[in-house]
Amino acid sequence: MEFSIRAANLEDCKDIARMILELSEYEKLSDRVKVTQKDLEQDGFSKNPFFHGIVAEVPEQHRTADGHVKIGYSLYFYSYSSWKGRSVYMEDLYVMPEFRGKGIGKALMSKVAQLGLAAGCKQLDFTVLDWNKSSVDFYMSQGCADITADLGLHCMRCEGDAMERLAQP
Amino acid sequence: MANFILRKAEPNDVSDILRMIKELAKYEEMEEQVILTEKDLLEDGFGDHPFYHCFVAEVPKEKQSADGFTLVAFAMYYFTYDPWIGKLLYLEDFYVMEEFRGFGMGSHILKLLSETRCSSMHFIVAENNTSSIEFYKRRGASDLSREEGWRLFSIDKEDLKKMTKK
Repeated sequence: MEFSIRAANLEDCKDIARMILELSEYEKLSDRVKVTQKDLEQDGFSKNPFFHGIVAEVPEQHRTADGHVKIGYSLYFYSYSSWKGRSVYMEDLYVMPEFRGKGIGKALMSKVAQLGLAAGCKQLDFTVLDWNKSSVDFYMSQGCADITADLGLHCMRCEGDAMERLAQP
Repeated sequence: MANFILRKAEPNDVSDILRMIKELAKYEEMEEQVILTEKDLLEDGFGDHPFYHCFVAEVPKEKQSADGFTLVAFAMYYFTYDPWIGKLLYLEDFYVMEEFRGFGMGSHILKLLSETRCSSMHFIVAENNTSSIEFYKRRGASDLSREEGWRLFSIDKEDLKKMTKK
């Protein structure tokens, strides 16, 4: 199937917001989503963006039943490893269910890899839920390492009250 | 000994920052993983678009470490984005030299970080670092790997290049 990958622009935020929700539903965590289309516009497309996006688009003749032609996306940002230096973090990677198995996810990830390498990054990091076997298998086939399994590194979060408490001497 | 100052890192600090990065990596039994150089730290932290930010703790000369260092703690962080909740603080490294622990430096650094006005802070801890995990959990941190099943994946430069060729 024909598809194209390109940098996201302001007009894409509506579709990205829609797909963020779809991905969170797939991850069974949709009650967590607080970000709105407006947040994405401000945070991704101002002078100092907090993230970058790429979208996958299909031609009109392949649009979904609901009329969407933007059928996949990835959100990423530049991060820093005190061991290796410049890194790229792939925050989201998503392809709508009816468009899977056609190499679109691979193409999106490859684009993030390309952009990261061009920016001088030494590695690409991301997280996956342990029960998401099809994704884990896909990533392992691309040469990724499970750092949680290999090095015992756990992702931690400190938010709201906990963050206030952390700030108490 | 309450005599220390916390300040933003400056270009001249990169040598001490790299030293402390290596000390922390040694504590984590990952010393051989550090390939970062002073040049990288300088270019990446003090250019037009810094990849990271850093606070350092400095003691007066008369309180210097056994080896003669006056920069004795640091925190390296940057801002990330969670499409569910928005801007986050990511704490990449957080370290106080052993001889300077127990004087509140760590807590003061965390207080400074909490003043960046992000609603949430993320970081990574090795599961065998039980004292650090206890420190954070006592203060309300959640272990997302254990509680929600999130696993951190990484792909290195060589495999990234292969991926872009396919």
